[in-house]
Amino acid sequence: MDLKFKNKKISGILSILPSTIVKFEDEMAYYNFSAAKSLKLKMAMGYNTHRIAKNGQCSSDLCIHGLQYLFDNGLLGKEEIDALLFVSQSPDYFMPPTSNVIQGHFGLKSDMICLDINQGCAGFEIGLIQSFMLLEQESINKVVLMNADVLSPKVSKRDRNSNPLIGDAAAITIVEKSDIPSTIHANVKMDGSNALALTIPAGGFRLPCSPETAQMEEDAAGNFRSKDNLVMKGDDVFNFVMREVPPMIHHLLQIAEVHKEDVSWFMFHQPNKFMLNKLADAIKVPREKMPSNIVENFGNSSGATVPVNISYNLGESLLSSSAKICLAGFGVGLTWSSILMDIGNLNFNKTINF
Amino acid sequence: MDEFLEQLADIFEVDSVKNDDELDKFECWDSLTILSIIALTSEKFGKQLSNDEIRDAKTIGGLISLINQK
Repeated sequence: MDLKFKNKKISGILSILPSTIVKFEDEMAYYNFSAAKSLKLKMAMGYNTHRIAKNGQCSSDLCIHGLQYLFDNGLLGKEEIDALLFVSQSPDYFMPPTSNVIQGHFGLKSDMICLDINQGCAGFEIGLIQSFMLLEQESINKVVLMNADVLSPKVSKRDRNSNPLIGDAAAITIVEKSDIPSTIHANVKMDGSNALALTIPAGGFRLPCSPETAQMEEDAAGNFRSKDNLVMKGDDVFNFVMREVPPMIHHLLQIAEVHKEDVSWFMFHQPNKFMLNKLADAIKVPREKMPSNIVENFGNSSGATVPVNISYNLGESLLSSSAKICLAGFGVGLTWSSILMDIGNLNFNKTINF
Repeated sequence: MDEFLEQLADIFEVDSVKNDDELDKFECWDSLTILSIIALTSEKFGKQLSNDEIRDAKTIGGLISLINQK
């Protein structure tokens, strides 16, 4: 589905990373593979260090830390927030919405909308699209988009498929109306027939957690995990991404009437370096234009990877200038989405530790 | 196809591969080897294989016929 928005902008991005750094080698002993095989995987996938939240720390804690930082530094006023979006798969509760909990924590005005959105790898794009739609309203001038996931507690330490790449992180993006006429092109697609390609089978209402769901089982590749753990069909996801993402990007550029060469950066979701390099090759863009270093530094934090990617790799360069950027997210849902927009002259664009 | 066999040999970290070589007997056989085969087949032939299909193919010869049938 193609979407188009007028006169909207991103005015700031803050990424919040847990301060605990875990190295790939520190966890190798958990895996049912020789050190040589695991180190080969590390090289191929670009694994190195990842950030893991402290025990008991939730996605909302990272968001609250980030919002407090913005308030304390005069980068955001509490009364300015007309909408607070929390895009995550790790909410505090089934009920109430975590966005309401955060609103309550800060005593924000009641004349606003709080909204939780359950999305993963494409969560930044889905969150931006929702923000742009809200900003069509006269009464909404500023949207605070939070992308946050602390999924590490749901990943089995003995799962070499997922554990080395998972990372916890949050990002806060300020989205608002722009005085400068501009057009943002976007598209989004969903395939719920493959919804369980990425899933945490137990813990919801369909299959509540029980001693049975906590039983560890070995898969065909030699990984151990239970139904309480996150599981990913790596081959299906790889094939899905290679099949769907390149045509989506070509289509987006076509409807926007923009040449590939005129796009400064392809800031994509960060599953691993291997897949991103294959994607860059398939789309036929230089690998240097598609940064792939987030997993090796911080891990894959689901919907937060794209803003983390922007604040880590483009940082200060977007404070004084602007760039044409293609954003893309793909995964959980299955959902895939891309956005072409100018991003720049930001009030802030940085990462902080928590 | 000769070039493909050479690339397969690279993936399996051997000098050359033969039709009756069993996939899971290669020293380096693991999920990364399988993903590398999936990526190579996708790049070279535009065909998509799954983990299970590759495991079920058993041998190099089985893998070649799997790709040909796709």
